[in-house]
Amino acid sequence: MKDALKRISALTKRNLKEILRDPISLIFLIGLPLFMLILFYYIFHNLTAQFEMRYLAPGIIAFSQAFLTLFVGLLMSLDRASAFLIRLYVTPAGSYEFIAGYVLAMLPISLVQSVLFFVTAGIIEPSFFSVNMIWGVLCSLVTALLFIGFGILFGSVCNEKAIGGIASIVISGQSVLSGMWFPLEGIDKNVITVMNVLPFRPAAQFLQHIVSGTEAVFDDIIKPLLIVLAYTVVITTAGILVYNAKMKRQ
Amino acid sequence: MSAIRTEKLRKEYKDVVAVDSLDLQIEEGELFSLLGVNGAGKTTTIKMLTTLTTPTSGDAFVLGYSINNDKKKIKEQIDVSMQQTAVARNLTVRENIEFYCEMRGKSKEETEAALKHTYEVFGLDKVEKKRAKQLSGGWQRKLSIALALVGGPKVLFLDEPTLGLDVIARRELWRAIEQLKGKMTIVLTTHYMEEAEALSDRIGIMKDGRLLFVGGKDSLFEKTGTGSVEEAFIKIVEEN
Repeated sequence: MKDALKRISALTKRNLKEILRDPISLIFLIGLPLFMLILFYYIFHNLTAQFEMRYLAPGIIAFSQAFLTLFVGLLMSLDRASAFLIRLYVTPAGSYEFIAGYVLAMLPISLVQSVLFFVTAGIIEPSFFSVNMIWGVLCSLVTALLFIGFGILFGSVCNEKAIGGIASIVISGQSVLSGMWFPLEGIDKNVITVMNVLPFRPAAQFLQHIVSGTEAVFDDIIKPLLIVLAYTVVITTAGILVYNAKMKRQ
Repeated sequence: MSAIRTEKLRKEYKDVVAVDSLDLQIEEGELFSLLGVNGAGKTTTIKMLTTLTTPTSGDAFVLGYSINNDKKKIKEQIDVSMQQTAVARNLTVRENIEFYCEMRGKSKEETEAALKHTYEVFGLDKVEKKRAKQLSGGWQRKLSIALALVGGPKVLFLDEPTLGLDVIARRELWRAIEQLKGKMTIVLTTHYMEEAEALSDRIGIMKDGRLLFVGGKDSLFEKTGTGSVEEAFIKIVEEN
């Protein structure tokens, strides 16, 4: 057990360095969402409640987490393609240690994203600072696991050339189907149903209501949380099964 | 005790037999070269011996442990450097070695010793602060092989270690491999006959998954009536 924890720690540190030392990843994980937060707030916050900081900042956090799918998937597929993982398969490490290494490396990145975006939101709109912000940071780790799960699945299934295209479905899904950029009044009922069934809107809703507060705790917080958790469990389990199967096939 | 012993080892992929009833024995401390044309079954044999691939039938014993039943025990005592360079791209040379030491459960003192050893054998100290992706192909390959040494393996598998390297880089790697001879059992696959001739204690020649010859260089020359490994290899492969 002690040896396994040491190996997981080594894998986590290595994966974190691999991602943070790639400037492209920093642009997409931090730079782009931060730019969008500031830009959209100043352009639209007086026009619609959609862009008030209590909705915009948590929505942007969920959007920025969608890029975790791209980078964890890319790292996994590149590792597989470069024979790096084959080398590690000859160590006593088990498959769960490799998966844990990828997941744990992404969590500090997610933490930095949510702290940075919430603090920026608070600087722009000081009334935004509250205890709910701390809850928002903690709860964002839950939604991060959803997108990391997507990355584990895609990284196990796809090669490095396909990852960009596949991950962009999740990124686009989180952007368009979360409902954060436009008011939902007047949108077709069937579209709303699809948005509610997929995990993207629930992920944004969950964080938005944690931060802004709500009296309808079940509908606004628990229900979206359960949807996010269900997707996370199913997708991550599928990813682990595919990963194990590929590991055995090496 | 033999370092490696295979018993009717066989691997099939759908309707292709990659390795066919392989019976082979490699002694401790020996440098054994496995030769063969593309598709002869060399890499599949290495993959089975390193527990990366499960055999269809038969068994092999590495340091007395079965590849079917004692995978973890085997993994603790072997290492491998595959054909492709396998390093962490964005980590420096030093970080790569430290990372792999951690994966092998080495203490800080053991890691320092491993760094010192690999720097001595491969001259990696000259590039220790460079990220792996910034290194030339030759340095990357040296690092890749150096990583296979940091765990102090008793059996080291080198699958075409000098593939694609220029002649200078290849000779440098030969010198490094020569320094390891006798300290551990080394199983080497290669397409370069002069490499096998320069480095090997014994040679095995495979074709279509079958082992056609096993023995020392002298017996290979005697059997084929030739004077070089290359000529002997061509004769054996063409006649079978």
